[in-house]
Amino acid sequence: MTTMTQTNLTTQVYQVFIKAPPERIWEAITNPEFTTKYFYGARIEITPDRRRTFSPDGGDSWGEGAVMEYEPPRRLVHEWRSGYNPDLAAEEPSRVTWEIEAQDGGLSLLTVVHDRLEGAPKTAESVAGPGWMMVLSGLKTLLETGEPLTS
Amino acid sequence: MNDDDRAFRALADPTRRLLLDRLFERDGRTLTELESELEMTRFGVMKHLRVLEEAGLVATRKQGREKLHFLNPVPIRLIHDRWIDKYTERRVSALADLKTELEEAG
Repeated sequence: MTTMTQTNLTTQVYQVFIKAPPERIWEAITNPEFTTKYFYGARIEITPDRRRTFSPDGGDSWGEGAVMEYEPPRRLVHEWRSGYNPDLAAEEPSRVTWEIEAQDGGLSLLTVVHDRLEGAPKTAESVAGPGWMMVLSGLKTLLETGEPLTS
Repeated sequence: MNDDDRAFRALADPTRRLLLDRLFERDGRTLTELESELEMTRFGVMKHLRVLEEAGLVATRKQGREKLHFLNPVPIRLIHDRWIDKYTERRVSALADLKTELEEAG
């Protein structure tokens, strides 16, 4: 068996089909009651200009950043700082873009692009692969079954 | 054909698995870059990329005048959750251990 290292993680793209209308996906992304159920327990509050992240009990701040684009229910662009880990938090901020496109048959295609990671190599490695996938498959499961993927 | 069918069909071809490995090694590549590493016509590579794209295993983004191809690992994760987890109970891992042991002994 061979193992490979991933390089060039400065732009990462993830896509998933979810059986839900764009409005429900938008709500799940922007409402902290939903994010605690699939985003590593984080309470994420998003307003048209700021994105604030708190620990699961809401007690500690895991950082905040600017919201650059806020177009419900289609497009959200915000700054990313890994406030949950001091080592990663020291790196430069990166950018996350959420795109939600309605498809036939009650499906939506959700695309997440995490880019501008040139100044944040540790963050890039930490969110790559399983990092974002847990979030996206958790979001899909939550919206399709009403149950969180992990408890 | 459902999503799983498309992903399994896409993964059944060695050239397409090779393309995914190439993208895993370095993500965000143009057709020209990918083509230069494979002994295959541009048209052939395009055809395989299209199958991967339809299966959701490759996502494309425009960057300036270039179209970049990215590995989208989510469908593989979903297959893993649905098909692999279920069968990788202790029973299976005991057999895998036995195989390793026998192979090492031999």
